[in-house]
Amino acid sequence: MIRVVRSTIIDTPSDRVWALLRDFNGHDRWHPAVAKSAIERGQSADKLGCVRRFFLRDGSELRERLLTLSDLEQSFSYCLLETPIPLFNYVAHLRLAPVTDGERTFWEWRCSFSTRKGEEAAMTRMVSEEIYDAGFIAVRAHLTASSGAGGHA
Amino acid sequence: MPRVYVSSVINGRSDRVWARVRDFNGLPSWHPGIAESRIENGEPADKVGCVRDFRLRNGDRIREKLLGLSDFDLFCTYSILDSPMGVENYVATLRLTPITDGDRTFVEWTAEFDCPPEREAELVSSIGGGVFQGGFDALKRQFGGENR
Repeated sequence: MIRVVRSTIIDTPSDRVWALLRDFNGHDRWHPAVAKSAIERGQSADKLGCVRRFFLRDGSELRERLLTLSDLEQSFSYCLLETPIPLFNYVAHLRLAPVTDGERTFWEWRCSFSTRKGEEAAMTRMVSEEIYDAGFIAVRAHLTASSGAGGHA
Repeated sequence: MPRVYVSSVINGRSDRVWARVRDFNGLPSWHPGIAESRIENGEPADKVGCVRDFRLRNGDRIREKLLGLSDFDLFCTYSILDSPMGVENYVATLRLTPITDGDRTFVEWTAEFDCPPEREAELVSSIGGGVFQGGFDALKRQFGGENR
């Protein structure tokens, strides 16, 4: 089992970061790797158990199920159901926490998975950098661009 | 039950920050509000269940019991046994989390306790703004300015 943990600080209050991230179907609006996304069966994106079917920019199609969603803890968990990428038993957990001495947010994104022998390093790098780190950068840019005040640059 | 939550970012790797704060008898070495401390019965400070007896700079004396300590998850949980603060069932946790994006540490300090309703605001303010934020401000000074 491989474990990945990435974390960062976003210079925006956690309520605003959470408003963007809690939408389980909204990652195509901010993550550079995701081209389009839809929730299956017309379910609401905050209904536990809902499945998002999405396409990466390279055309790969993936399905993920929402396992946990907490507005109190500002966190959610999900697992991969289908993917052309060799990520098996992939379960991820994303959580936010306010930095109370400044209008900032701690954001942690972690997961565990297994993969084919010999692909451990490549998959770890892909998840860490192309999904998580790239997501941090994209959300930071998205929030800065959508901030009317622009006071947290 | 009143709850206090204070968090901050320290500009140092979590193992270095943990080395500073894990010593249950070490408050005087990093927290500006604490004058002196000792562990009762000559026990080691990382023996879960040990009791620290310490004195604040204002002269108040507090005894606290170590309830949990983790070098893996980087947290320390303790309760107040005796204090002049007028709180009951006080349990607090200091927790560190690495920030992988830069050699920094996310620090959280939480407490829950019971008190008369009319004292709640004052106690939340003095514990959160005074003790916890005072400790974080000291750590921030000790570890230097953030690279942002």
